[in-house]
Parts: sequence; C-alpha cells; structure tokens
Amino acid sequence: MNEAEPKVPSRWIAHLDMDAFYASVELLRYPELRGKPVVVGGRRAHAPKTLPDGSRRFALLHDYAGRGVITTATYEARAFGVHSGMGLMKAAALAPDAALLPADFDQYRKYSKLFKAAVRAIAPQIENRGIDEIYIDLTDLAPADDMGDAEPHSGIRDIAMRIKSSVHKATGLTCSIGVSPNKLLSKLCSELEKPNGLTIITMADVPGRIWPLPASKINGIGPKASEKLASLGIKTIGELAAGDEVWLKQNFGANYGAWLHRVAHGRDERPVVTHSEPKSISRETTFERDLHARHDREELGKLFTRLCEQLASDLQRKGYAAKTIGVKLRFDDFRIVTRVLTADTWIQDAAGIRHWAGRALKKAPLEQKLRLLGVRAENLCVADALPREDVDQEQHDQLTLGLFKVP
Amino acid sequence: MKLLNIERDTLLKPLQAVSGIVERRHTLPILSNVLLEIADSELNLLATDLEIQVATKASLDKSANAQAITVSARKLQDILRSLPDAATVSLETQESKLVLRAGKSRFNLQMLPAEDFPRLAQGTGEVATVSVAQKNLKRMLQLVQYAMAQQDIRYYLNGLLLLVDANKLTLVATDGHRLACISATLDEKQPRAEAILPRKAVLELVKLLGDTDDVVELQIQQNQVRSHFGSVDLLSKVVDGKFPDFTRVIPSNPPSRFVITRTELQQALQRASILSNEKFRGVRWVLTKDMLRIVCTNAEQEEAEEELEIDYSGEPLDIGFNVTYLLDVLNNLSSDQVECALGDANSSMLITVPGDENFKYVVMPMRI
Repeated sequence: MNEAEPKVPSRWIAHLDMDAFYASVELLRYPELRGKPVVVGGRRAHAPKTLPDGSRRFALLHDYAGRGVITTATYEARAFGVHSGMGLMKAAALAPDAALLPADFDQYRKYSKLFKAAVRAIAPQIENRGIDEIYIDLTDLAPADDMGDAEPHSGIRDIAMRIKSSVHKATGLTCSIGVSPNKLLSKLCSELEKPNGLTIITMADVPGRIWPLPASKINGIGPKASEKLASLGIKTIGELAAGDEVWLKQNFGANYGAWLHRVAHGRDERPVVTHSEPKSISRETTFERDLHARHDREELGKLFTRLCEQLASDLQRKGYAAKTIGVKLRFDDFRIVTRVLTADTWIQDAAGIRHWAGRALKKAPLEQKLRLLGVRAENLCVADALPREDVDQEQHDQLTLGLFKVP
Repeated sequence: MKLLNIERDTLLKPLQAVSGIVERRHTLPILSNVLLEIADSELNLLATDLEIQVATKASLDKSANAQAITVSARKLQDILRSLPDAATVSLETQESKLVLRAGKSRFNLQMLPAEDFPRLAQGTGEVATVSVAQKNLKRMLQLVQYAMAQQDIRYYLNGLLLLVDANKLTLVATDGHRLACISATLDEKQPRAEAILPRKAVLELVKLLGDTDDVVELQIQQNQVRSHFGSVDLLSKVVDGKFPDFTRVIPSNPPSRFVITRTELQQALQRASILSNEKFRGVRWVLTKDMLRIVCTNAEQEEAEEELEIDYSGEPLDIGFNVTYLLDVLNNLSSDQVECALGDANSSMLITVPGDENFKYVVMPMRI
C-alpha cells in the first residue's frame, strides 16, 4: 500500500448476515428437516401435508414441474451445487431428494423484525440492507483500549459475540458477522466464515484476507466488469490493487476506475445510514406458462389487477403513497423491458395503481409472449405527511349501489 | 410545393374540431399530428389517439393539387389562433417542412409522412343505426355524463352505456355511488344493440355536437361506435366489458316523496356546502312533516343550516348524502321542479322530473 494506514481504525462497522435465512426459518417450523437438503421456492401447493400419525410428508424436488426458482437453499442443499436464483427444475437434477417448501414471506418478515430488534437493543446504529442483512456502526460501543494494541480486538469481539447470541436467543437462528473499519470490508468478511461465523479484520489484514478473493466478490463489480477485468488478466482483488490507478481510469473511465482502485485497497468511507426510506416498492410474478398480451388478455388482466392490489396493500401497510408507477415485463426470451409513468397525484390505492400501471403497460411493446409481469411504485412519500385530500382514499362512509351484488 | 391558400378561420374551425382528442404526450410521435388531405376542392382533416378518431372537412374556394401531409395539431392550432382574424394563410411544403406564411409571419413546421398516419380499423359485427337531432343527443349526454366513473378499476364504468332496444335509446352512466339514466323514443324500431362509449369520446361528443335540429347518426357496432353529424365523423372504440345491470338499482316505488323547486334546493345545497367537510362533502337531510332541514358541518365544528318548506307527509327521516352528487344532477337538469323519493337512511334516493318518465337519477346515501 502506498499510503500509511492509521494503526487504530477510526470506525468499527459490522455487517450481519443471517445464515440461509428463509430456509433456517422453515427449519424452526419443521425441525425434522434439520441436516437434510432443503430448498425454499415452491408454491403453496408444495406445503407439507400432515399424516394421520402426526408426521409430515414434504414435497420433494424431483417431483417438481414448473418454472419457479430457488429463493434459498440450506447449506446441505448447497453442497449439491444448488443456489438461490437457480430454476427449481435444474436444481431437481442436482439434488432430487431435497425437500421443497413454499416461501412464507409473512413468516420471514416476522423473524426479520425479531432479529433486528435484538441487535438494536445492543447496538442502535443500524442500516437495513434487506430482510436478512444489516450494517451496524459499533464505533461508539468499542472500548477505548480496543483501539490500541490490545489483541485481537477483544472488546469488539465481545460486542459482536453478544449480538450473535442475542439474535440466537430471540430467533433460534444463527448469523455471520464481519467487523472491519468500513462497510465494504465488513460485507466481504462476513462471508469468510459462514455459517455462524465471526470475522474481524483491520486494514492490516487486507493483503492477507481480502486480496486473495475474486474481484467479483465486491459489490459493484458485476459480471460485465469482471469479464473485462479478466480479459485484462485481473481475477483477484489483489491483482486489482496492483493495477495502476491511471491505467484503471483509462480502461474503466475516471469515476469507475478511481472507485476500483479505492475498493481494491479496502477503502470505503460510506456512512452507516440509519434512517432510510425505501426508493420503491414492487411486486412481480412469473407465470406458470408464457402469456400473450392479446391472446391471454383475460388471464393477464386478472394477474395484473392482483399485482396492483398486492402492491396497494404493501404501500398502505408500510404507510407510503407513490407518484410514479412502473411496469416490468420479461419476455419469453428473458429480455426485460420497463416502463414508468408519473401521475399528477399521490397514489396509494389499487385502482390508482392499476390505472397508471395500465397506461405504462400500453407504452411497452406487447407483441411477444410474456414470462413475468411486475408492478412498481416509486417516488415514495410517507402518506401521513400528505394533506389528507391528496391521498386517493376510498370514502368509507359513502354507500354503494347494489350493481354488483348477486341477485 | 404549394399546398393551399386559405382563410384563417376556414382552417382553424375544422382543426379545432379534430384536435380536441390529440394527447399532449404520446409514445407514437405522429399521434401529435393532424392529417391534412387535399382532394379537389376539399380539405380533409383527421386526428386520432388510436382509441378515438375524428375526421372533418372544409371546402376550398378552388380545387388544389391532391396532397397529404401531417403536422403538429397543437402547434398549427396555436399559430392560427394567434394570427389576426381576417388573416389569409398560405401553406407550402419544402422537403420535410411545412412553411406557413401569413402577412409578415413565417413558420417552418416539421412534417411526418402522411402514409404513416394510423387509422382505426373498420368495426365488425352488426350495425344498429340510430338518428337523433344533435341538440337532443347533446342534452341527453349532458344529463348523464357527470355520473361516469373516472379512472375506476372497474374500467367498464369509465364510460357511458348506449342501449338501443326496440324504439328506445337509453344512456346510462354510473360510478358505483350514483347512477344517471335517460331514455328517448326513436322514430323507428331497431334491433337491440348496446355499447360502452369511453369517457373521452363522450366528453368530445358533448363538445362537438351542435344545438341544432340537424341529425346525428349513431352507428353502434360490437367494437365501435361511429357518430356522424354535420361534416364531423367521430369513430370510437368501445370499452370491452359488460356494463352492470342498471335496472335493478333503480328503486321502483320509494314510499316517502316530495316535489321541490329545483333552483331552491340547488341554492340551499350550495350555501350549506360551504361548511361541508372538504374531503367527504357530507350533507344531512332531516325530513319531518312538511319540512326539509339541510345541515352541514365541517372538521372545524362550523355549521350551516337551511330550512325548506315542502309538501311532505312521509316518515320522518334523517339521511346523509355527498352534496356533490346532489349538485351534479341539479346543476344539469333544467326543469322547474324535481321529485325526490326516499326509503330509509340506508336506501338510495330516486330523483326524477315530475311528468317526465325518461330521466332517472339514483344516489346512495352516506353515513354521517
């Protein structure tokens, strides 16, 4: 490294990642599956059946026919080479005897809240990164002597261990924590000793622990950048760090080149953002079979309306109204098209979402068969902050004509 | 190439007739344009948003070369409008530009190829043809259009039901809370036909129909409604859906009824509504022997009260309504009197015009 790194880290940032979260939550419910390969990702029809003797019969992967994808796999299932995002049919070929469970997001959200509350009780500076991961700023909690030579960071290790055991006590689940001077390194090192791991590193550990990792492990170096790096002979983070900054800028542009140089040396100044509002809320569904906008109009219309209703209830439950509504289409050739429209009013109800999403959909090319349809609300605002007239709200007190009642 | 010389108004009038449906923003750029087609001594104008298509024509003093161009409807209209009334306009094409000159003004407008201009396909299925005086259809539309839903998820309510049965033409609009329905007798018996005319087409028709006895011819087809009147030809796709059975929500004979001067009720409601809740717009009707008391309160606990003497011997009743729904119908009717017929506080009210069986307005109450 060409600059002297401070010996004492100025910050301690933890990245906490729940271990195989969805699958682990399911195992709490079905303990008999412990130690067995389990994948989550089926539909409701794949829920286990309780037999007369009280035991349960689980759906098996090799019986699966359809086009769902894996949401999570247990470590036992991952050993067969299956991973989240993989098609269930493909996974069935690798691990035919793995048990298949339907995803139960209500349950996962419940456990997500539980583990976050447990962490917050110890360390309140939390940044949400999703249902199963958070960043925690531990700087203020680290004992003063820990910043010095006390090896190996016993104070910060104690705090991280307390968080891990508190999460386990609250949920029965294990997590892996990476602690380092910044978010970038913590995210990388929380993975190093998964599951149930705890990894603490300082800048001094970067060459030994981080540089051997593939460059693609860094969040922000995607498939395209990895490919280009590989073509330039760079595979690991260390090789990237050895690259000259000017040369990187020439090859990747000034901004991205400078960023690559920075992250390769483990530098990242991003703060832990404790208060964040979601940028968008969306719902999408992959069809059982490809649908055509015209020939399957009725079926598509129903699914579309249902997505809008689900999105409306998400918005209302979370207390947001949206100004921009978008649609996402994936065609039978996996090409993705999105279209958005911004309304002149705040939208929170299903009818409003359906209307604007419908208009957005009209802007999209619809000749090709569709595989997936999604609806997204963007430009969000906390609904309570709006003047009441502004939120499209059903007038509860107005009675309706009996036009649609069954006679 | 020279296109034509024309009086400002000879071009502006028909242009305004077709440009009303042109959307401000559209993904297909040519839809912002109007198609101008010259054939002999006629100028044909056409605009569309792919749901509705309006065509009209103007007569030219002398015949010109057959030509067709498309140019921004809104810009052409804005330019013509801002020219002096008596201006004469010359149009000529220079490559892909339309050059418009008037006096010392010159405008270069971008054109798009006329052959790319989309037109609605011919309708399919049986045609039921109905002829009505323009002013009568305009009046009928005005009496029901305000009850159409707007951007409702039940998309088939975002329009107006056109129903032809025997020698009767019926128009119905509802947003699920209130329903307006009007019928007229036709000169000749017709095969049964029905279609839902989309909201935009209804509003455009009301605008374009004249207050004359000249006839408008409606051609109702399974997927299209064509309205032909004067030199205007308005073609609209229909809303693809089933309109709910409206007859079952029209109460047959509500027991408590009274007749009241329309303007008296209208003005009392307008005054009272000043102190209604801005969001819910609720108004209370308290009916007792020969008395209608109208009460409005708002979130600040302010109160308005109106007392109207009526001839009423029905049950005492305390019922709430959205005052907007009441004012909508009273503002659009032109009769001296209206009849209100009620059941209980949870049943709909029927508003009719005494001596006129053709108009019915049903409004559901509001719990206040």
